[in-house]
Amino acid sequence: MAVQLRNVRKSFGTVEVIHDVSMDIAAGEFAVFVGPSGCGKSTLLRTIAGLEDTSSGQISIEEQDVTWTEPAKRGVAMVFQSYALYPHLSVYENMAFSLRLRRASKREIEEKVLEAAAILRLEEQLHKKPSQLSGGQRQRVAIGRAIVRQPKVFLFDEPLSNLDAELRVQMRLELARLHKQIGATMIYVTHDQVEAMTLADKIFVLKGGIVQQSGRPLDLYRDPDNRFVAGFIGSPAMNFLEGTVTGREGDLTILEVDRTEMVARIDATPAPGTSVALGLRPEHIRVGETGLPVRMEMAEELGGLSFLHTRRPDMSEIVVEWRDGEHARMGETLHLACSPDKIMVFDTEGHRMR
Amino acid sequence: MAMITNRRRDVAVAMSLIAPFVVTFALVFLYPTVRMVLLSFTDAPLIGNGHWIGLENFKRLMSDRLFFTSLKNNGYFVLLTVVPTTALALAIALTINRLKGALQALVLALFFLPYILPVSVVTEIWMWMLDFQFGIIQPLFASLYGKSIPVFKNPYWVMPTVAAVTIWWTNGFNVLLFIAGLRNIPQDFYEAASLDGATRWQMFRRVTWPLLWPVTALILTLQLILQLKIFDQVYLMSKGGPFNSSYVLLLMVYREAFQLNHGGYASAIAVVLFVVIMVVSVLQFQLLRSRGQK
Repeated sequence: MAVQLRNVRKSFGTVEVIHDVSMDIAAGEFAVFVGPSGCGKSTLLRTIAGLEDTSSGQISIEEQDVTWTEPAKRGVAMVFQSYALYPHLSVYENMAFSLRLRRASKREIEEKVLEAAAILRLEEQLHKKPSQLSGGQRQRVAIGRAIVRQPKVFLFDEPLSNLDAELRVQMRLELARLHKQIGATMIYVTHDQVEAMTLADKIFVLKGGIVQQSGRPLDLYRDPDNRFVAGFIGSPAMNFLEGTVTGREGDLTILEVDRTEMVARIDATPAPGTSVALGLRPEHIRVGETGLPVRMEMAEELGGLSFLHTRRPDMSEIVVEWRDGEHARMGETLHLACSPDKIMVFDTEGHRMR
Repeated sequence: MAMITNRRRDVAVAMSLIAPFVVTFALVFLYPTVRMVLLSFTDAPLIGNGHWIGLENFKRLMSDRLFFTSLKNNGYFVLLTVVPTTALALAIALTINRLKGALQALVLALFFLPYILPVSVVTEIWMWMLDFQFGIIQPLFASLYGKSIPVFKNPYWVMPTVAAVTIWWTNGFNVLLFIAGLRNIPQDFYEAASLDGATRWQMFRRVTWPLLWPVTALILTLQLILQLKIFDQVYLMSKGGPFNSSYVLLLMVYREAFQLNHGGYASAIAVVLFVVIMVVSVLQFQLLRSRGQK
């Protein structure tokens, strides 16, 4: 394992922000910590970097206990959200900074900096100051500074959040390419689930300082453990409908939502009368003659597909993905249905009933 | 048409907004300065007209030994204060910056406190503390040198003493400027440096110092201007003595103008000091700035 956390806790004063986190990140893996702001993902990254001390628990990097090791001796390099490029130094000197600190030879410095610059296509910018670079170039210099150190683990703290949308997509691809090219272990923190889905080999979804679920992106998408993960992963988000269990027919559970019957195929057998939440992904909802009645409110047209925003009688929203040409007009009533295999059921505490 | 009227109105508004400053500046700075320069070419007394005597006053200056003594003392005082006070302020600011919360505010306030005292109070405090017979610092001198030292009566001690008092009095402001500069350096830089394995000294040498340089250059320049204008402390503590060993240019201006009624000659000295301050401070600032950009 490249990085291993065992029962890590972190408190600031009396407030515990990381609760008993354990995780394994394999060598060469691209791991992403994702979660809403305040979930502890950045704190967790900073404890791995050694910028924050752990309150208890153990952190190992390549089988070595580094819980109390200085940041510089952990073999990690970090790319900051602000990039933290030294404004008084040129791009070259920024990348050479760590090598100069440990008095590397002039030749070694030049070799390593030029190699990193080539990987990141920064050769033309080496003599410029950070203030003369565009946002994307600064981002690359920050990554270059990490590459030069040849760390065991790269740490990224929301590295793309200062870029505009277009550049963010471009840099996302570059990061994925970079990961393939150098094959290093990377840990990446973001609040953006799209970044998490597109970059990660393994996602850790955090909320309230607890790992809610971890796994491959599509596994989390298809098979979430709880309502939070189900709602957080996927865009547009999963629709949740409050309903009641009414009965069971074979392996099908009969549910009632808005006085309409719906059917889910789950192994769990909740007693009739149990309150549950049904989770339906926008792309799994079909519009037909019968089913849950909703009122069409508006459509987001994206060209190839559209997202229909509809309202239930209690005014809560259901988003439906639509791919088949003309869609309903505003104010019309639609009937929504979903295959029993695609409906997810959650208990009132948010746990998935499988 | 409307456009033109609007433009005219804009100009009128702009004029009326800067007018108070322009008028005040002209009245209390520009006019007196021009008058002073003109006066320096005459043999006028402090009040009343004199005769135009061309460069006579400046020629006389060149053979006035007190003028050169004063000029030398001004330079000596600058050497004793400008760099030492800046270095001290930086050291104090770095220390305070590492304190946290209320303690930090308290220590900063303690260092800043002398700055709000009027100069006469400052000199009174120090003259009392340094009094040859009763001063509470004299036992320290006695233990170091074996005897008390009459610092204001000793030609070797008087300037360094005035310099020390001046630094004690004005240092708080420089500390404040440095603290403001230090707070402007993002914490990320230090975290990035610590991940890169920088020691405390390397962080200071490679991050803090270069990023603080603009503030340092500003403080050095402000101090240079301020300390070239030394007058109050010398006037209050040593009156230029002993044997003119703490005589400075402004003291000479004061004596020539207000005690000997030589308005023209005093103006000539003031003009020289004015030119010296301008040239030296502009030169220094340019020099420091170019060093910063390297």
